[in-house]
Amino acid sequence: MTNEWTVVVGIKQVPDADDVSIDPDTGTLNRSDAAAVLNPPDRNALEAGLEIKDGVDAEVIAISMGPPGATDVLETAVAMGCDDGVLISDRAFAGSDTWPTSLTLAEGADYFDADVVICGEETTDSSTGQVPPGIAAHKGWAQLTYVEELEPRPEDDQLVAQRDVEGGYERVAADLPVVVAVGYGENHPRPAGLHRKIFAENDFEPDVLDADDLGIDKDIVGLPASPTKVGGQETVESVEREGDIVDDVDELAAKLEEVTV
Amino acid sequence: MSGGTVDIDEYEDVWVFIEEHDGDVAQVSWELLNEAQSLVEQKDSERLVALVIGEDVEDIADKALARGADQVLVADDPVFEPYRADPYGEQFRHMVEERQPDIVLIGGTTTGRDFAGRVAVPAYAGLTADCTEIGIGPDGHLEARRPAFGGDILATIKCEQHRPQMATIRPGVFEAAPPADDSDGEIERVETVISEEETLTEVLERDIGETADITDAERIVAVGGGCDGDLEPVTELAEALDAELAASRKAVDEGWIQHARQVGQTGKTVRPELYVAVGISGAVQHLEGMNDSDVVVAINNDPNAPIFENADIGIVGDLFDVCPALAKRLQDADDPQEVIA
Repeated sequence: MTNEWTVVVGIKQVPDADDVSIDPDTGTLNRSDAAAVLNPPDRNALEAGLEIKDGVDAEVIAISMGPPGATDVLETAVAMGCDDGVLISDRAFAGSDTWPTSLTLAEGADYFDADVVICGEETTDSSTGQVPPGIAAHKGWAQLTYVEELEPRPEDDQLVAQRDVEGGYERVAADLPVVVAVGYGENHPRPAGLHRKIFAENDFEPDVLDADDLGIDKDIVGLPASPTKVGGQETVESVEREGDIVDDVDELAAKLEEVTV
Repeated sequence: MSGGTVDIDEYEDVWVFIEEHDGDVAQVSWELLNEAQSLVEQKDSERLVALVIGEDVEDIADKALARGADQVLVADDPVFEPYRADPYGEQFRHMVEERQPDIVLIGGTTTGRDFAGRVAVPAYAGLTADCTEIGIGPDGHLEARRPAFGGDILATIKCEQHRPQMATIRPGVFEAAPPADDSDGEIERVETVISEEETLTEVLERDIGETADITDAERIVAVGGGCDGDLEPVTELAEALDAELAASRKAVDEGWIQHARQVGQTGKTVRPELYVAVGISGAVQHLEGMNDSDVVVAINNDPNAPIFENADIGIVGDLFDVCPALAKRLQDADDPQEVIA
């Protein structure tokens, strides 16, 4: 039996934000010491992908672009209920900004003939939110960002989403294939089931796809093909504050009146 | 798609996208139009061009001229109302490829961040997200600065071999200038390159309430997770202080308060004279959006909350007690009878 929809969920391994330190000598980020975790907004993407199975006969595949061995996040995805997880890895991808990254993920989604591609709102290590629209743009597919809720309409080959817009919301119907970016915290990611978790940890081994597998020309990925480059970084000086702790509301009101006249 | 670089000298103008919904212009558009004038001066000689996309937007084009644009390009068609990423992206991309601007600035709203990639990807442009500082470097390239890792680091992003140099800019970081009485710029209507039949999406329903603008507020009372969904105490305090209500991401994600009032990373940047943080722990992502405030007051029941290290005045206490008591004290003080008594 073939599945009606193929849902590809793009996930990323990121350094634990609570664990990233700044080198006091150079002022640069020390990412290498930080523990690697699943990008937190991606849990909402995985949940949204798995919820599609409730209404549509769908296969849900997690894909992740990363260095060899960055497979723990795929294990997590499979433990949550994804049918498969695939690592996209090639030395040629190193240093990619959002342009080649979204190209690579677009080819990854296309490799599986995706009807729906789902991503988190943004990654905590770069916070651009540019990759989901980038995937859609590379392929000329529809896109739905800042999504609060999804409503599959397989009979019309459409996916309907409620999106967050400034001051309210809107409901948009998109033709397939479509790229979705789920708003961070918009759903409640399911915990991994016990049996699924045991399977993911013991028996699951993700396939690895490289640039050749995906038919990607190595000249258009990686640092050399990235339009943007980091031209430097500086530590932000924290603002000096008085830090005056008052004992009661009377004192607080008095101080406030001093500063608000 | 070609992987080559371009002759960057062929790219000249500075463009600003004017974001319009239902006849209203997003304030960030005017902020960018004002800030972009300094880029034009630093680069010397190029024009400042405003882009207006929508339906029946002639009056907005006039406003863009009054706000300093040398030229306004108008794409006026029913296909652009209400906003959708695919027709906006396609139209914008076409104009960028045809007219070759050097720099393109877009407000970092949910709309701007939605479609900017649909322009940058096919145009093979450099796109930097969520910038808080922009300038022209000694080499003539745009230097777009953006907070990284929750604001501890400010990274400078450059695009040396591709054009245009695109950036989405966080709302509220720059100031808008008032409109001038007269202007000598020109308005040009451009050809619509996309038809309804070619669109990939359909807006079924839109529900837009009153859109708050907290970026101009002189006083702000901001609420966080500590209020547990009860906005009564902070609303009361905000009224007593004649302040705008704002929120941390937590309060917005819980659905207690609209996104337009969110301060910090993925929200707005504010710089009021007075910022009162109520029940907000003070995560760096939040501090990033308000640390230019003149005076910061913290009300929190956790004495170890980081917000206290980032406040001028703090009180450790239950917000459900402190807010009403403080509101009452302030109102009493405003009442001349009380002062005399």
